[in-house]
Amino acid sequence: MRRDDLRPAVFGTATRDRVLIRLALSENGLHVRELARQIETSANAVHRVVVALERAGIVVSRPVGTTRIVLLNRRWYGAVELRALLERLAAAYPEVVQRARRSRERPRRIGKPL
Amino acid sequence: MILSAESSLVDVAFAACTVLARAGETAVLCGGSAAAYYVPDLYQSLDVDFVVEVGAAPHVVDRALATLGYALVSEGHYRHPTLPYVLAFPIGPLAIGRDYITAWRTDRRGDLLLHVYTPTDVVRDRFLHYWAWGDRTALDVALAVARARRAEFDAGAFRAWADRELAADPAYDAARLARFFRMLERGG
Repeated sequence: MRRDDLRPAVFGTATRDRVLIRLALSENGLHVRELARQIETSANAVHRVVVALERAGIVVSRPVGTTRIVLLNRRWYGAVELRALLERLAAAYPEVVQRARRSRERPRRIGKPL
Repeated sequence: MILSAESSLVDVAFAACTVLARAGETAVLCGGSAAAYYVPDLYQSLDVDFVVEVGAAPHVVDRALATLGYALVSEGHYRHPTLPYVLAFPIGPLAIGRDYITAWRTDRRGDLLLHVYTPTDVVRDRFLHYWAWGDRTALDVALAVARARRAEFDAGAFRAWADRELAADPAYDAARLARFFRMLERGG
């Protein structure tokens, strides 16, 4: 993340904004490490954000194998409005959107070009 | 008021709700523990989930629960030295999907009281867990409460709420809602 980033931190911090925007672009959620890689932040920083958001009920994490996947909580009372806002804000984060597009989450045949 | 080693989830819930009420805080039993309250033979939980009204002072909650022997172990979680039940205080407001919950049931046991989701709200809450995440256990619990509390379960209100959720988020699978009603009618 560039230190000269002048975009507003709508949700308090730039990391929090990026975590939420990236999760809004995800169909099935992401591992914390992958989330951190995609928004170019440390896994520890992302973990802290995720813990706080999970405590507030805004995101949930669920075990998948030996790890945990984080995703927006669609049960949260403001989930629909939050997702709409995040999708709007995503326009200000083209680098996050591009990385999300490159990291295809759906199954992909081996050898098929990206 | 001292809890004993034999205290059940319901005993703990009544005790916690009462000491909080005496301290001026309203806490409502919700989540899986509210389901366990209505169908204790079918569903059990070691978490006692309360949502306190927005604006509750944490130090007041700490002090009230300390009178029962419960101490804060992590944010929103309190443990007892001997009892297995954890008191959990998820951040409010009290809501099921898009609906804010502003009314609940209050049961009394002597001079103790318990604020708890109504049976209809427990069914909504557990069904939503199934609807959102596909958790079949939550579906079974929703059905069990709806059957055990048939006279109190408001199927019309449930359906109206589900329709509103579906309208707001069309990604919810309408087939899961149909399955709930089919299984409820079948009774098995």
